[in-house]
Amino acid sequence: MKRRKFLSLLLTILGFTAAGSFVYPLVRFLAPAEGKTKVKQISLKKAEILLGEAKEIALDSIPILIINRPGKGVIALSRVCSHLGCLVDYNKIQNNVICPCHGAIFDLEGNVVSGPPPKPLQRFPLKVEGESIVIG
Amino acid sequence: MWVRIKNWLEIRIGLEDLIRAQLTEYRVPKNINITYTFGFVALTAFLIQVITGFFLLVYYIPYSETAFRSIQDLMNTVPYGWLFRQMHVVGSNLMMVMVLLHTLSVFFLGSYKKPRELTWILGTLMLLITVTFCVSGYLLPWSQLSYWATTIATTIPTAFPYVGDTISRFMKGSEQVSGITLNRFFAIHVMLLPLIISILIGLHIFLVRRIGISPPPFGKSAETERPRTEYRHESHPDGYPFFPDFVLKETIMVMVFCAVMFFFISFLPTFFLPEEANTPADPFKTPAHIKPEWYLLAPYQMLKIIPNKFLGISLQLIILLMFILWPFLDTIEEKNIFKRPRLRGLFFFSLILWIGFTIWGKYS
Repeated sequence: MKRRKFLSLLLTILGFTAAGSFVYPLVRFLAPAEGKTKVKQISLKKAEILLGEAKEIALDSIPILIINRPGKGVIALSRVCSHLGCLVDYNKIQNNVICPCHGAIFDLEGNVVSGPPPKPLQRFPLKVEGESIVIG
Repeated sequence: MWVRIKNWLEIRIGLEDLIRAQLTEYRVPKNINITYTFGFVALTAFLIQVITGFFLLVYYIPYSETAFRSIQDLMNTVPYGWLFRQMHVVGSNLMMVMVLLHTLSVFFLGSYKKPRELTWILGTLMLLITVTFCVSGYLLPWSQLSYWATTIATTIPTAFPYVGDTISRFMKGSEQVSGITLNRFFAIHVMLLPLIISILIGLHIFLVRRIGISPPPFGKSAETERPRTEYRHESHPDGYPFFPDFVLKETIMVMVFCAVMFFFISFLPTFFLPEEANTPADPFKTPAHIKPEWYLLAPYQMLKIIPNKFLGISLQLIILLMFILWPFLDTIEEKNIFKRPRLRGLFFFSLILWIGFTIWGKYS
């Protein structure tokens, strides 16, 4: 290998190394901080949600909708619409869940009935223990 | 005194020669029309944004706990705070109008064609930067409108498989839009974007001056008579002097721009600041019927009617890429759109479609 070619190769390698040693810290600097991985639980009194009613809560800053469905029991759904992240609302009269941004409609299982969302609403584990409802 | 300063500068930088070469003896085409001033008006609008933006920075506190309060204080208690904020808000929308009008007029006059492909690409990039300016600035007041519009904007990348979620989290800096997002958008809005757009403006103006102003294609021009095989500056020896003739035209348009801006500020102060813009951000309540700003209503409506999110966003990106690279897709030499029925049809069809989608998006 000629000296000139060697030097230009060395310069290229050094250049990439210098760029890489700047890009890596930059990516780490801008990357979102890792959230706490511990799964929290939240407990509610069963009597807090009447039949056919819903309650909005936050679990680890995630907005959740707890619906007490007539004949089907209680369910915990994420309020974050799977389309573009707006928060869905429970519609008692029409017995469904509606997104105010793009008019998406979900059933009370969280499945998409109409509108643009690509997938159902995220469902959270829920247990009924005596008079309490434990979510998470 | 003035003469002494002039002489001092003359000896050092050749002021008279500079004025002669760049202003009085620099000539613009004789058949130039009012649409040629749109670029300068857009530049003035940008300068208004820089100046008023600086004034807002004096009182704005970029922290999620205080941002909304600081804007409210600025509007209600700081003397003339409302004026500078309104100038910034209305000015940003009018700047968008001017950039769009400039782009449309350049397209209509065929000025994007060889040898001005680079000028066009820089211009379209500036259009995108202007939109990014508006989107990043939108979050800063930390209102319901800002919060939820940003939630939607930062969720859009999730349409892309594998990398979408990572891009979205990088934009937000957290799982949801939060104070971290506000800090990021603030840094982008006041530091990164002004730097990028200043470089692009510099390059854009350099190319306009280096290549020469593209004359309107309606009528004979030297350009069509001689095919371009090497670099040649296009001069217009029979044209009007840039200064004072054309500068006067530009000044009139800047005055019209200012008149429109102050009309909105005086008579329609809530036009760009609806109720949601004066309600503090609530991460647990999405307001009903939240809509993006007028210039994003068309893509918003398109996204709404296309059932597949990935398809909708990919389609918009393809259209955008085609728009940026249009000079390479339209290689026919004829610049006069009136002699090209298919291009004319495409232009008006796209324009009507965009307006139609915007109106539909507004009232859907």
